[in-house]
Amino acid sequence: MATVTIDNKQYEFEGRPLLLQFCTDRGIEIPHFCYHPSMSVPANCRQCLVKAGTPAVDRATRQPKLDEEGNPVIQYFPKLMTSCSMEITDGMVVHTHRSSELVERAQKDNLEFLLVNHPLDCPICDQAGHCPLQIQAYKYGPEGSRFEFEKVHKPKHIKLGPRVMLDGERCINCTRCTRFTAEVSGSHQLTIIERGVNNFPMTPPGVEFDEPYSMNVIDICPVGALTSIDFRFKARIWEMSSAPSITATNAKGSNCFYWVKNNEVLKITARQNTEVNDYWLPDEDREGYQRFNDDRPHGPSGKTDGGMRPMSWEESYAAAVDVLETADPARVLFVGSPHATVEDNYLLSKLAGHLGADTPVYLEHTVPGSGDNWLITDDKTPNASGCERLGFNAADVPLLRSKIQAGGYDVIYVLEDDPVSSGLFDSNVDAKVILHYYNTTNATLAAASVAFPAAMIVETVGTYVNVDGHAQRVRPAKAVKGVNRTLQMEMGKSRLDQHGTPFDKWYDETKLVDCKPGWEIIPEVAKGLGLELSYRGPKQIMEEVSTALPSFTGATYESMGLVGVRLSDTPTLV
Amino acid sequence: MEVAKQGTSKAGNWRDYERVLLPKVKNLHKLEVYEENGGYQALKAVLTEEKWTPKAVTDEVKASGLRGRGGAGFNAGLKWSFMPPVDDKPRYLCCNGDESEPGTFKDRQLLEYNPHLVIEGILIACYAMSITTCYLYIRGEFADWITHIEHELEKAYAKGYVGKNIMGTGFSTDVVIHKGAGAYICGEETSLMNSLEGKRAYPRIKPPFPAQKGCWNYPTTINNVETLACAPLIINKGAEWYSAIGAPTHPGPVLYGISGHVNRPGVYEFPTGMLITDLINEVAGGMRGGKKLKAVIPGGSSTPPLRADMIDGVTMDADSLRTAGSMMGTGGMLVLDETVDMVTWLKRVSHFYHHESCGQCTPCREGTGWLEDIVGRIDRGEGNVRDLDLLADLCTQMEGRTVCALADAAAWPVRYTIERFRDEFVAKCKPTLTPAGSPLTVDA
Repeated sequence: MATVTIDNKQYEFEGRPLLLQFCTDRGIEIPHFCYHPSMSVPANCRQCLVKAGTPAVDRATRQPKLDEEGNPVIQYFPKLMTSCSMEITDGMVVHTHRSSELVERAQKDNLEFLLVNHPLDCPICDQAGHCPLQIQAYKYGPEGSRFEFEKVHKPKHIKLGPRVMLDGERCINCTRCTRFTAEVSGSHQLTIIERGVNNFPMTPPGVEFDEPYSMNVIDICPVGALTSIDFRFKARIWEMSSAPSITATNAKGSNCFYWVKNNEVLKITARQNTEVNDYWLPDEDREGYQRFNDDRPHGPSGKTDGGMRPMSWEESYAAAVDVLETADPARVLFVGSPHATVEDNYLLSKLAGHLGADTPVYLEHTVPGSGDNWLITDDKTPNASGCERLGFNAADVPLLRSKIQAGGYDVIYVLEDDPVSSGLFDSNVDAKVILHYYNTTNATLAAASVAFPAAMIVETVGTYVNVDGHAQRVRPAKAVKGVNRTLQMEMGKSRLDQHGTPFDKWYDETKLVDCKPGWEIIPEVAKGLGLELSYRGPKQIMEEVSTALPSFTGATYESMGLVGVRLSDTPTLV
Repeated sequence: MEVAKQGTSKAGNWRDYERVLLPKVKNLHKLEVYEENGGYQALKAVLTEEKWTPKAVTDEVKASGLRGRGGAGFNAGLKWSFMPPVDDKPRYLCCNGDESEPGTFKDRQLLEYNPHLVIEGILIACYAMSITTCYLYIRGEFADWITHIEHELEKAYAKGYVGKNIMGTGFSTDVVIHKGAGAYICGEETSLMNSLEGKRAYPRIKPPFPAQKGCWNYPTTINNVETLACAPLIINKGAEWYSAIGAPTHPGPVLYGISGHVNRPGVYEFPTGMLITDLINEVAGGMRGGKKLKAVIPGGSSTPPLRADMIDGVTMDADSLRTAGSMMGTGGMLVLDETVDMVTWLKRVSHFYHHESCGQCTPCREGTGWLEDIVGRIDRGEGNVRDLDLLADLCTQMEGRTVCALADAAAWPVRYTIERFRDEFVAKCKPTLTPAGSPLTVDA
């Protein structure tokens, strides 16, 4: 097999990989700014320079030249090479900064240049703390600067569009953003204008940077030149925890990080998953994080003679049991949810089965024509595919509505959805409604006899199946009130979470939402109805699902890991 | 053939030299005059005579030893032979008339006085490489010359020398004139292609080279205007005739654009290998006002300047100039007399490269401005002697570390002007605190 020697160590390779990517894949760090694995290689930041050579070939004999000891003579390229643009060839010898002082010096030199006209306003820059320029300047840059002149001034705080803000002075002209709009999203809404040291990215005259993927340039900007208008100055990166999870805005289930400070989600950024969303996230997935923070309920409530009143959890379970145990199973409608996890829906179907009711249905939330065949789907829910695989059918809303109106059901059990808004029934419906809900804006609340506040995607552990049949786990990003060991163990932690104490100022009890995940509520209700659903947690539930249902074969927590697992399209019967 | 030594002219009997690129013919720019003087005969020959297969034309140019006149001095025929075998995909020729290096103005002369020679050269090159489209890229500042050559090109089209079925031979080639928008960087060949494609004129990384992936990712050759103008001469008179002119390793007639403090600045056609002293003292009529020569920049502002005491016996060809410590470049020779403040001169040159850096690569984008800042500070009398070391450092940090050669072009004048005129720079710096004569003082 072909080999390459990097810093005196041999590696095997196949094909013609690019050196920088090859090194990155093997944990050999080479500083760089402009290179991005899913875009073209412009080699313009000049940071990833290495010394490289190939075996010298004797022109006459066409044989490799050998030295006295029989080792191939290496002919080094006369100039340092950009590793991002150089394809590896057999026998190539590469020296990074680890084994070449010249390369170390060159990288230092380049960082000195990069910082010459950079404003160095890290203390007020949103990017500080996770800024490739800041990090690499510390690691590879010079001690100080020899630049003694006024820096170049360029436009600052320019709104490129509704969501992205430009600080031209921070820009290092890596062109990642312009290449993104040209090569990935195809909107061509950004271009570099001006010349030389005055360069900066800008929209063409009269154009607004409003494409549905615009905020990705914030993720890939290696400095703080492009920041989120919404998130600017809200929090420092080291005050936040980040949880690797997926988004719930549509059926694609794009991978993301939820960034949380003081138990509030403040922003959502893309997380790499080449199987699902590559490195990208649509703007609609990033926006609307407020629904995780605002209008959240505080504890369960139930309808008594005097109307709705807050209840303790035990009271509310008992109230739900009360409603269900007296009802005729044929007149109980279970409504599953494409918003809820596979685990929650599975438990709901077990409960329905135990009572002898029909298999739950689920409500579709599609906006035809809103999808783009990429990361935005017509379906605006994350788990319709999971519901289908559990054997749920999409509700025929007009048909079901007329049946409800005709008094066909005594009890409607709704899992994490809002059927009143969907038009399934009205808020003055005769049937008793048991509701799991996220936000107090839920229109079905008015119709509910028992209302359980449910943990949202950022507060629970569970599984979602995306539109392509990709099963992925979600992890809790923020804590809920009360103690749940599973949730706590899965929680992403910030430095403050790890090293702070409840006496610190950042810790605020009032931001904890009093809600519970479905897999905690449903077993409590089931217990009252004589069904023991004693699982140690959603992991065990999913193990059962993946063994019991062929459409979920292989979807265990271990195999899903951080990137999920593709379920087979035509499930074979076990 | 006798090998000329350093120190003697390689231009032979240059005083009797008969001009071929810009012959002494009145109104030669007019098609009918050009025809009367043997115009388009070389094209006719390659298109009609059997011995002129495309490969034979390329080989003839290769054998002539013609080296590119755009600055890099690469063998033109060899460059043509890098084009891949013909297939059904498009391939292009670009004629580079972006001429924007300070001190260079020879292509303009050709386009003005002998445009049909350029067009004929383009057509011969297209035939040699089986190309059916040539882009003639002319810098936008040459607006009048663009109109002029467009007019002549139309006439050539009308006469059937260009376009479909040239002279009834079945060979077709279109020539498209493209007007630049005033950026120095567009003269860089890959940048020129990006500009032509309507993109931002950022130079491309090589490989792939233009012959593999050029305009619109198809095989492309890029030649300078003067280089292509030599092609008809080589076909008419033969490679041997051509290679016998001037310096053996860098042969041919060449247009010297002499500017600066001489009595008769202008474009002069002579063989390569002329003594610099001959060019200044005889061709250009000597130093203006009888002043003393201070420096010669042989091939455009980016080539390292030569001190007056360095030019004895130096001839204008690649080898001799390399030995002397400079380069042939474009043959645009700047002559500076004793009144010139080399610091101010360098400030102006540095300003140019700062202004023209495209901004793609970090070292050039940031370095060119920094160089100008420091040189400007020295020029204002506010610099320190240590700044000279910093300038040398910055040059090292820029040279060879960018996509194209603009960083080198910006760094060389700084490095070599300081190296060769250090006294002047030190004299303009603020006095050091070390008293003269102390052991810490370093002789400049």
